[in-house]
Amino acid sequence: MINVTVKLSADLRRYRPALRIDESLPLSVPEETTLLELLSEILQIPAHAIAIPIVNGVKCKLNQKLVEGDRVAFWPPMAGG
Amino acid sequence: MYYGYTGTILRVNLTHGEVTKEALDLKMAEEFVGGRGLASRLLCAEIDPEIEAMSPENPLIFGTGPLTGTGAPATARYVVVCKAPLTGTIACSNSGGFFGPEIKFAGYDALIIEGESPEPVYLWIQDDRVEIRSASLLWGKTPVETESTLQKLTHPASKIACIGPGGEKLSLMAGIVNDNYRLAARSGVGALMGKKKLKAIAIRGTGGVNLADPEQFWKASMDMHAKITGDPVSFGSFRAYGTASLVNLINEMGAYPTRNFQSDTFEDAVKTGGEAITEDILERNRACFACPISCTRVTEVKEGPYKGRGEGPEYESTWSLGALCGVSNLEAVAKANYLCGDYGIDTISTGATIACAMELFETGALSEKEIGFPLRFGDEAAMVRAVEMTGKREGFGDILADGSYRLAERYGHPEFFMGVKKLEMSAYSPRVFQGMALQYATSNRGACHVRGNTVAAELYGIPRYMPPEVLEQKEEMVRRPFQNSTAFVDSTGICLFTKFAITHREICALLAPATGIDFNFDRSIVQGDRIWNLERMFNLRAGFTAADDKLPARVSEPSPDGPRAGSRAILQNHIQTYYQLRGWDEEGRPTRSKLKELNLEDFWNVCSEHD
Repeated sequence: MINVTVKLSADLRRYRPALRIDESLPLSVPEETTLLELLSEILQIPAHAIAIPIVNGVKCKLNQKLVEGDRVAFWPPMAGG
Repeated sequence: MYYGYTGTILRVNLTHGEVTKEALDLKMAEEFVGGRGLASRLLCAEIDPEIEAMSPENPLIFGTGPLTGTGAPATARYVVVCKAPLTGTIACSNSGGFFGPEIKFAGYDALIIEGESPEPVYLWIQDDRVEIRSASLLWGKTPVETESTLQKLTHPASKIACIGPGGEKLSLMAGIVNDNYRLAARSGVGALMGKKKLKAIAIRGTGGVNLADPEQFWKASMDMHAKITGDPVSFGSFRAYGTASLVNLINEMGAYPTRNFQSDTFEDAVKTGGEAITEDILERNRACFACPISCTRVTEVKEGPYKGRGEGPEYESTWSLGALCGVSNLEAVAKANYLCGDYGIDTISTGATIACAMELFETGALSEKEIGFPLRFGDEAAMVRAVEMTGKREGFGDILADGSYRLAERYGHPEFFMGVKKLEMSAYSPRVFQGMALQYATSNRGACHVRGNTVAAELYGIPRYMPPEVLEQKEEMVRRPFQNSTAFVDSTGICLFTKFAITHREICALLAPATGIDFNFDRSIVQGDRIWNLERMFNLRAGFTAADDKLPARVSEPSPDGPRAGSRAILQNHIQTYYQLRGWDEEGRPTRSKLKELNLEDFWNVCSEHD
């Protein structure tokens, strides 16, 4: 197992309403888990709700595999000024 | 009969108290569309760009687009164009609300305000009746007080644009406020209005906008409405969390400039982000004219030292008054934002100037005696106090009121000015977003995020994803789908925020039936290019050169910490490639053939000699 943290922002927070806005979810997941598996199997959040997955500050694809210590943050579709 | 356009330009000379009306040149409108493009073209016919910005010769032009006030989605925008008091570049600040459409309803495409009044005045425009009235009782009032007073003096439904005390006192960071809280904020357009002693414009229009093909127009309008309301960005995060929903995302990427750009990650960003604003101070959303998005946040701090009420803070404001000053108290940031509104000063330049002062203080270049109190990063009470002093030009605020470029120069540290062409950068770090680095360096009004917000491509993937660190093809991306496209959109009267859901094609599908003119996608590309080149020529003639297309040295140094530690802005070769793609010479001057291609060759001789 590896340890990662997950942040949910904007309206993705509805999937974990108890989580404070400054809080990350600490998780132990099997090695080689992809972001997609993290979403669908562990967090049970539909992948289509995610537009911007960020791991350690870098936008990446959902087939990326997690490694120990990854800081994962998910965002819905967004943009701004 | 004019369609889309009203066909009339109102000219008011404040020196002589004269009011005249002129017919719109439709050929000019066809080439420059309206709004930013047309008002810039009108400005170029009025003045030589070499004049002093704060002189009576510099006119203040309020422009609308052919779509402004038509009722299609988000058609609220008006622009203010002049030679910029803060920067000396061409200025074009724009704003939504309801004032822009009212200009059209009263029968005008643009207002040209020239000269200077000896005493404070306001304009009262009631359809074709125009009066210049004394504003002695309004002088010193905030925008909210001015609006309510003027609606009593004129008509309860009048729409008002005015300056606050900041503009009256000629703060070079002053904007023009309409509908109580909305600001045409940047470049110091409010300082010029203050110099003209024009406190306000009150407009009441009872007409509408004629449409050449109403049936086709409303069909296109409903199609656009469906696209915007079906879009998860425009109709999702914008509505739910406002523009400040970006705070945590940009910070997570390590691209959120902090403490006067000393870092790109703010440890307390979450406390001043969109989610915190929504949970702690949001009262409700508000929309501009005909806008389904309604991104405006009506907020209130109910009690305590930072008690206040107003709109925002928006993404840029919560950043400049928050992270950039190292401040993490949302109520203090909100209060500073309300104060900027009360004084009518630009939140970005104000926050950035205070951040610059904080760095000058912490490095010992500025003393407590000069400021009147210690001004350290993270001291929220000192930040709010500095905003108040700036708005009033009181004590040290007299120096802050003219922006960070002049402040940093005055205290011998020009390297602490974090901007380009005297305009402060915005809330996207150019060390991380290479597109923004090139855009800040080359933008015609100085460092600015709304002249070509490449973050759309570099993060959200609109129109297509280009990773922020990638350099290849960024020059073309900055030039065409961002800078030129924005110049076109800003000229139509529609809000830039629709662009996450729609393209030029949808906008042209409205423009053509609105005006009866053949606006189409291919022409829109040329129109955007033409407007950008016209602005560039204005700046060249005003004395700017390729040497001004540069970033502050600090952002070329590696980012010290955070997830993008080590990243830095890389410009060197890109500027020349960008010039080539633009059809400019190595000095950044449009070539004669480029000007010919854009039908701009009649302008000043700013092209290279050997061309």
